[in-house]
Amino acid sequence: MNWNLFVTELVAGITHGALYALIALGYSMVYGILKLLNFAHGDIFMVGAFIGYGLMTVFGTPETLTVNLAFLIALMLICAMIGGGLLGVMVERFAYRRLRKAPRIAPLITALGVSFFLENAAQLVLGAEPVSYNTYAWKNSVLWTKGFTLPGKVHVGLPQVIVVVGAIVLVVLLTLFVQRTQIGKAMRATSFDQEAAAMMGIDVDRVIVVTFFIGSALAGAAGVFNGLVYQQAFPYMGFQAGLFAFTAAVVGGIGNLPGAVLGGLLIGLAEAFATGYLSSTFQQAIVFALLIAVMLVRPSGLLGRAAVQKV
Amino acid sequence: MLKRLGLVATAGVLAALAIVAAAVARPMSSAAATATCSKGVTLGILAPITGPAGSIGSDQLHWAQFYISQWNKGKGHVKIKLVQGDTQLDPSKASTVAQSFASNGSMMAVIGPAGSDEVQAVAPILKKAGLAFTSGSATRVSLTDGTLKGFFFRVVPNDGVQGPTAADYMGTTLGVKSGDSVMVVDDQESYSTGLADIVGTSLTGKGVKVDRESVSQKATDFSSLVAKVTADTKVVYLPFQLASQAQLFAQQLKAQGKTAIVFGSDGTFDSSKFNVDGSYISFFAPDVTTLASAASTVAAFHKQFPGATSPFGAPNYVAAQAYAAAIQTACKDKKISRAEVRNVFSKTNLKTTILGSGLKFTINGDVAGARFHIFKIVNGQYQTVA
Repeated sequence: MNWNLFVTELVAGITHGALYALIALGYSMVYGILKLLNFAHGDIFMVGAFIGYGLMTVFGTPETLTVNLAFLIALMLICAMIGGGLLGVMVERFAYRRLRKAPRIAPLITALGVSFFLENAAQLVLGAEPVSYNTYAWKNSVLWTKGFTLPGKVHVGLPQVIVVVGAIVLVVLLTLFVQRTQIGKAMRATSFDQEAAAMMGIDVDRVIVVTFFIGSALAGAAGVFNGLVYQQAFPYMGFQAGLFAFTAAVVGGIGNLPGAVLGGLLIGLAEAFATGYLSSTFQQAIVFALLIAVMLVRPSGLLGRAAVQKV
Repeated sequence: MLKRLGLVATAGVLAALAIVAAAVARPMSSAAATATCSKGVTLGILAPITGPAGSIGSDQLHWAQFYISQWNKGKGHVKIKLVQGDTQLDPSKASTVAQSFASNGSMMAVIGPAGSDEVQAVAPILKKAGLAFTSGSATRVSLTDGTLKGFFFRVVPNDGVQGPTAADYMGTTLGVKSGDSVMVVDDQESYSTGLADIVGTSLTGKGVKVDRESVSQKATDFSSLVAKVTADTKVVYLPFQLASQAQLFAQQLKAQGKTAIVFGSDGTFDSSKFNVDGSYISFFAPDVTTLASAASTVAAFHKQFPGATSPFGAPNYVAAQAYAAAIQTACKDKKISRAEVRNVFSKTNLKTTILGSGLKFTINGDVAGARFHIFKIVNGQYQTVA
């Protein structure tokens, strides 16, 4: 047994899965409340990555950074989350709000349109060339030389630790928020029955805005995490990440938050192990084959529940 | 009511089809049309001036503009006007711009486009219009299979030269012998898969074990693939179109403690994006900034276009040079046509160019005797090693 390969793929899968989980949570949250597949969500991830990169450049180039790195990363995350959240709120306000009563196809097409708009706007404003966080150059690669070694002599760098731990912390905070706060209760009520929630005095508009803000903030954070580990940010990076995260949300059970996390991890691991043990060429085919297999066995997703409709 | 609507809809569709047919049938500027040389001659340039390859396209444009501006200062030279067309390295955009070039009656030839996919997209348009088009960077072998004979030329060698050059260098200099392993990773684009196939076949023929892998050009993580690089893997060959992808792969290879050498193709040639020490890159042109014979020309170029330049740019200077000579010859009778330019251009025989070698075309439009150059990354800079 090649432990080095196994453990490396495991680490790669968990890291990538954590990113997918963060993005998938946004998909699930919005779908849970509005029954809307927000295809622009992946592009909020892209915007978050660029916000993080832009903030980094305020302190210098990757090779010349002298600022405390923990401070820098925290600041990048906070700004990306706030920026991503605000962008999500704006998208909801201007693109989706008026279509709440429209047939489902209308907001779906609008979401695609918003996605194209964000990608092309980013290309126009920021240029089409990829930018690189180049964390390997931060203070002589200190982030990557520190870390720990797993069985199989696999070194795990700090960026990977930050991504996984950060994702866990954010998911825990989200869970606590949804379960323990008044607005979280309102979100759960609205996702269960929007009309009834409104009749109970819940401000549904406010709940939707909060949902979009939180979901988009998580995507923004995922953008920074992506940059820390995988370096790159470019205008079209949201498409593939969004597609895989959407797949993760569906596999886990669209609308189900723990399901989104589980789906993200499964997709990340499937990607990694498919590349390592089968073929990199068919990596995407294998991931989507997993989606089909889950859908055939459990159409509502692994943790989703079949919706009961009164006829 | 419905019947009337149906009739109206049918009439509308027929009208639309008629308009489209008329537009398609409209003849492009005739290949036989002549123009007078007294008012000057127009040369087009198709380059990715903006978009993901904007830095390359700008460089190509500047070198062509530089040559033309120098040429126009010459006494007795036919004045040449350079018209630029931005393709963004997108075949569909290249087609649109090529269409406008074809319709421009004063345009006698085209420099570009840059990418092999773009060449394939614009070829039917420019060929039908009778325009010669010469690329300074499209290296796909099939472009000069004879289909575009007399219309398409290139001033750089093709991948049929690049692949064996890379494979030979791995064997003679990087120590890859029979029984050793090499990983070849393509980015699923036709440029990359073609080159990967050539190198893979070349290495397999030498008894090297080739691990053929494939990743999406949009991939942001190669760590799973890097994990498959073993201690026996001597070289990882990356015929990628994006230098940033090669950079990421090489960084992740290093982070995982792998010792395999990264060898990139000409698509990865960008020292601002791919600069991991110890890596190699093959490229279709020398770095003219290091050639003593080109020193004065390079200095003059930098005066007109301050800032960095890459080896992508100078081939377009050579293309402009060859076209200028052809146009001057064709204008001896004060008249010029696209067919004349093509005919004269195909017989180009420049003894020396800024690239350090002469320029003569084979019957299918390739450069006779061209070769690829190998660079090594040392302290983040590209040094010519072969």
